[in-house]
Amino acid sequence: MRIKRESIKENLTGYLFIAPQLLLFLVFVVYPIIEGIRLSLYRINYQSETFIGFENYNRLFADPVFVKSTINTVVFVVFIVALTVIFALFVSSAIFDKNAKYVSFIRGSYYIPVMVSMVVMSMVWSFLLNPANGLIPYAARQLELTSVNFLGDTNLVLPVIIFVTFATNVGSAIILYVASMIGVPKDIFEAAEIDGASRLEIIFKILIPMVKPTTIYIIIMNIIAVLKIFVVIQLLTGGGPNNASTTLMYFLYNNAFKYNQLGTASAVGVIMFLIALVLSIPQLRAMFKKD
Amino acid sequence: MFKKRFLALTAAVVLVLSILAGCTGKDPVKSNGESKSKDQVEISVWLTPQWKGVMDPSEEGADYDSFFKYAAEKFSKQYKDHDVKVNVQVVAGDQRDELLNVNLNGGTPPDIFFESVFAMGDYAHRGALVPLNDIVDDEAKKDITQNYWENVTFGDDVYFYPFSHMPGTLAYNADMFKAAGLEEYLGGENEIKTWSLADYEKILKTLKTDLPKDKYSNAFPMALYALNNQADTWNLAYLRMFGNEFFDGKGNLVIDDAKGEKAAEWLKKIYKDGLTNPGVESVSSNDVNAMFQNQQLAISFTNSVLFNNAKADMESGKTPKFDLRLANIPSESGDPLTFTYVTGAAVFNTEDETRMKVSKDFVKFFSTDPELVKASKNGVPVRTSVAEEFKAEKPLFEAYDKNAQYMFNFTGNVPGYSQLRQVLYPELQALYTGQKSAAEAVKSYQESGNKVIEESKANSVIFNK
Repeated sequence: MRIKRESIKENLTGYLFIAPQLLLFLVFVVYPIIEGIRLSLYRINYQSETFIGFENYNRLFADPVFVKSTINTVVFVVFIVALTVIFALFVSSAIFDKNAKYVSFIRGSYYIPVMVSMVVMSMVWSFLLNPANGLIPYAARQLELTSVNFLGDTNLVLPVIIFVTFATNVGSAIILYVASMIGVPKDIFEAAEIDGASRLEIIFKILIPMVKPTTIYIIIMNIIAVLKIFVVIQLLTGGGPNNASTTLMYFLYNNAFKYNQLGTASAVGVIMFLIALVLSIPQLRAMFKKD
Repeated sequence: MFKKRFLALTAAVVLVLSILAGCTGKDPVKSNGESKSKDQVEISVWLTPQWKGVMDPSEEGADYDSFFKYAAEKFSKQYKDHDVKVNVQVVAGDQRDELLNVNLNGGTPPDIFFESVFAMGDYAHRGALVPLNDIVDDEAKKDITQNYWENVTFGDDVYFYPFSHMPGTLAYNADMFKAAGLEEYLGGENEIKTWSLADYEKILKTLKTDLPKDKYSNAFPMALYALNNQADTWNLAYLRMFGNEFFDGKGNLVIDDAKGEKAAEWLKKIYKDGLTNPGVESVSSNDVNAMFQNQQLAISFTNSVLFNNAKADMESGKTPKFDLRLANIPSESGDPLTFTYVTGAAVFNTEDETRMKVSKDFVKFFSTDPELVKASKNGVPVRTSVAEEFKAEKPLFEAYDKNAQYMFNFTGNVPGYSQLRQVLYPELQALYTGQKSAAEAVKSYQESGNKVIEESKANSVIFNK
């Protein structure tokens, strides 16, 4: 008991230093999570809250739009993350050992879309793809080509969103990979070259395994980011046509702010939180392993 | 050692206290519209874009908030009870519900909202508005005819003070009609032309084939849109074109019959035949309105305010000038279809008695002041006295009056209308993209719509009084 008290006393300064951050974390992260879980068990209107147990969850799983949103979100996560990792690996492994100025130029070029707001990027794409007055459909009509509605075709709308999101996000992954690859000791490459390894063998057998921690980080960060995909849906398709491009985050937004179904929206939030938590476990485990 | 530790401890305590001070600090002056002192009251007025200017869009610097800023100034000068400051904010129509829901749940609703009644009726059902019976006097009841009062009455109470109304019709570009050789179908400049459905189909086909491409490149006959919840009113009218009544006597949807299916089939056919703008499923009402103003569409939707704004934009050189005229939505029976939006102000229950009283007084002031009510001429006045005064200046008032006999109530006064419009456009998108047949689209709209109505009835404070 005495030892414990002494240990607390000794660490008091440390605790006080982390207290502001801890306080903000409790107020702005932990409390909203607990409140979200509580609200997901209630039916809410302006004047009252009624406890309804798991009814919000039951209704969600019976709602075809929620099911569609979940499937779409999974499709986005799988394709966007895979495309990002593969393309970023391809570009980075091709340039990491080249002239520094050339590397900077390529890195900068891919990073520009990351710096531009997603809202602006979505509006630019909307200007290009709008079937009535967009630039691409207009050019197609002028050239008397078959006009395709990229945003209104249920088979095309998902690939279009995947491409737009991938093109906007891939820059960060390239930056991380290039930095990581530059950090790989040169003597390993030299030894491989002396042993007669080809460029492809060097990439697949040395480079990619050496940057595995970066790959794990990129995968997890992108999964969490894509799970929350919203802006591009809101501005480009509005979840349409006929909910073909709706996602969990968009579904949550509609329920919370358009339909005023706060209980249902909270239930969606809780489900998204659980998915993100499950997907973050490998990263957390990797972190603790290191320690 | 002790000194070093003491310094570190002090620094940590100061850091924590500074954060706490930041959290608890309160600025008494900027208290989000709350009463600052006994005689000073700050209220907020929100509105969606209505008419520009105080009285007329041609005024210098005319904007959507000009009228309310002017009315607020006039009100503050003559108001004796408090020193009133009115904050006016214009919000986009498609963002209204998001903003209101967030602010209502956060306990910070606006004091007054000026909007079309149909879009705000749900807030009365949800108990967010206060009745305005006490500010409606006999003089107003006499000057504003009964059908407008019925529009703004929910249960036994008046929740909106009617100001003007905006009849919805079609607008057409008479120059494009002439260019396509359709002179015989033109109506007069101050007429709302009625075409038969057969004539209308002929007009669309002729516009598609005979509109000179060199003069009107990238132009299409008719505006059609289904991107978001704004795709309700005119589409609801088109769905009645073959005689479907839409609602039964109990306020349930009855669109799923042969007439409703035929109307949905007709919409799909004109789209597939290229008689509308392309990509209907991904185009918004704002998109098609801009296309119409840029002469890329020959026929579009309009209401009296949009019509006046379009004319003002042409006058000011913002958009190309053309001969803009009005027509009715045709129907198979030959009788045209028309509807109106009654616009007016509602007062939110902010639980601050002073602010609610001042808000009611302000609503009464701008809805009854002899000078200010003249601004209703930008739509169509609900007050007989104002309509009479501007009869000569605004010949279309008479045309709208003649049209009133064909008017239908597009909301059916059902609770949950704002959610009902959220389930319409996905069905229209499914129809246009071929995911659903006309029969399937009307069937699933009726099912999901009636579910919304049933739930909204169960939650309505007015139905469950």
